[in-house]
Amino acid sequence: MADRILKKDNLGKLVASVNGNGGRFIAPVLDARQVVFKDVTKAEEIVTEYILARNSYKEYVFPQTEVVADFTVEKHGVDLKSREVEARETVVFGARPCEAASLSSLRAIFTWDYIDEFYTKREDSLVVVTVACTKADDACFCTTVDLSPESRAGSDLYLLETESGDYMVEAITDKGRAFVEKYKGAFTEGSGKAKTLVMPEKIGTIDLEKVSARLKDKNHYDDQVWARLTRKCIGCGACTFVCPTCHCFDITDEGTQFAGERRKNWDACQFDTFTLHASGHNPRHYQHQRWRNRFMCKFNYYPEKFASKGCVGCGRCIRVCPVRLDITEVMEEFSR
Amino acid sequence: MSNNIYLPHLVTIEDIYEEAPDVRSFRLVFKDKALRESFDFKTGQFGLYSAFGLGESTFCIASAPTRKGYIQCTFRKSGRVTGGLSELSIGDTMGFRGPYGNFFPVDEWKGKNLVFIAGGIGLPPVRSVIWNCLDRREEFGDITVVYGARTVADLVYKNELQHWGDRNDVRLIQAVDPGGQTEEWQGKVGFVPTVLEEAAPKAENTVAVTCGPPIMIKFVLKALEKLGFSDEAVYTTLENKMKCGVGKCGRCNVGDVYVCKEGPVYTAAEVKRMYNDF
Ligand code: SF4
Ligand code: SF4
Ligand code: FES
Repeated sequence: MADRILKKDNLGKLVASVNGNGGRFIAPVLDARQVVFKDVTKAEEIVTEYILARNSYKEYVFPQTEVVADFTVEKHGVDLKSREVEARETVVFGARPCEAASLSSLRAIFTWDYIDEFYTKREDSLVVVTVACTKADDACFCTTVDLSPESRAGSDLYLLETESGDYMVEAITDKGRAFVEKYKGAFTEGSGKAKTLVMPEKIGTIDLEKVSARLKDKNHYDDQVWARLTRKCIGCGACTFVCPTCHCFDITDEGTQFAGERRKNWDACQFDTFTLHASGHNPRHYQHQRWRNRFMCKFNYYPEKFASKGCVGCGRCIRVCPVRLDITEVMEEFSR
Repeated sequence: MSNNIYLPHLVTIEDIYEEAPDVRSFRLVFKDKALRESFDFKTGQFGLYSAFGLGESTFCIASAPTRKGYIQCTFRKSGRVTGGLSELSIGDTMGFRGPYGNFFPVDEWKGKNLVFIAGGIGLPPVRSVIWNCLDRREEFGDITVVYGARTVADLVYKNELQHWGDRNDVRLIQAVDPGGQTEEWQGKVGFVPTVLEEAAPKAENTVAVTCGPPIMIKFVLKALEKLGFSDEAVYTTLENKMKCGVGKCGRCNVGDVYVCKEGPVYTAAEVKRMYNDF
């Protein structure tokens, strides 16, 4: 049931009002011929014909790089200053239902006993405006991981495109309702005829229960099959950077020994130095062991430890992989 | 007060001890006076130590919680951060975050005999437990320490080893690997697991704590099994690369076990149940 209509002619008003209030409006735009999430100031920049943005919008809650502290080393000690996140209203327009479902996974990690406020403050001020999918490609497999274009989880507003290019708006959360109220000038009464949603076909040869049981059985951990299926991986890490649930990062100092910043930077479990000990020993020496870690993280650690989805089936890792390593093929193998 | 979980406390290096080639200890005190009083930890916990401009490195807290007002860390110069730390002098400032992780359940060991087995740079975490137990000596039965290093020069805490050797309520057995002895060497020559087997501490009502290089631990666990120790009575502390220390950065896991959050202290039984991700 749609609560309101967002007319395409009113989108510009919404973009301007959010920006005018000091907020950020993030939407899919064309950049180097790719559709990516970026800050927009004008509705004309927004792309509507796309399947998924190439990047996940996780970078607006968990930036690629961010300063956590500044230091200067003085003669008689160190001057250390904490950075605090300024919570700024951030609207992500045009998220897809699969990636909307990933926020609770990231939150589970960033609030596991210790609260990472760099993440939580950003997520708390994030408004996820999902536009349901009227297009899909062969890499989409949300329905195989129990999601679909109809999933509402993680969305604050859930939008259906109408035949005339407007949006029927359903407010899912209190945050979503407050958002509609705050910008009521842009959301009007009315209705329209929704375009048909496109359901990616469920991959029949995949059984998540079987995948899960297989991973839980520690006797299978050293199976040759890992090496066989993932040998071609070159460890570039691209799959982790585009993935909406990958959360690994490094903490490094940048600057000189006299002044600089301490930063959290995205990192990837696919890199050879990721787990390398100072002694030279590396628990994940071979690339297939690193790939196994990523798969375990998605289909064992996230669901078993954090009761959340490690993979939302967005297919980004499949589209971006330079050697065409397809995560669903591994899921199929473990469904036998 | 900041809620920034990545913000270290500032500490002053109050003293530096050269332990062995490239191995040194820092005695650290918090700059913040209130924290100096209130800081508390449990034996086995670790911290992240910063050399500003270079980054952070993870070591255990090598001092005992029964000694208040300071913490000690011991590290080997082996990378960028430890290299930078090695260049610091008495009076210099560095960073510390912690304490993190779980701890040795020392309170559960009351009335038991204790055997400590360490190799090389594996002694620092065990040292914290040893001093913790020696400071509460009357609560425990026999205490045996088996410690070995590659060469005589590589033995850390030489003064303390002498002190433990002089005490009549501690049985200390020191060893160096074959070829690592000097003419004056009075201890054993041999590998730690073999020396342990010869020393044959009795397993009954006894808890064993071991830390050292992975290969040593592997054979120490076998030796303990031969001596009749159950896997539940053997404790070790795992080391893995860490960056955040608080379960976020995703690199310290052994299979589904996050060493920074759920470790680093485990019984041998727990270690055997883990995924083979070592
Ligand atoms: S693992 Fe691949 S398909 Fe799954 S959520 Fe991550 S990028 Fe999307
Ligand atoms: S994108 Fe492909 S090649 Fe690159 S790390 Fe991921 S699986 Fe390996
Ligand atoms: S050290 Fe970062 S998750 Fe354990």
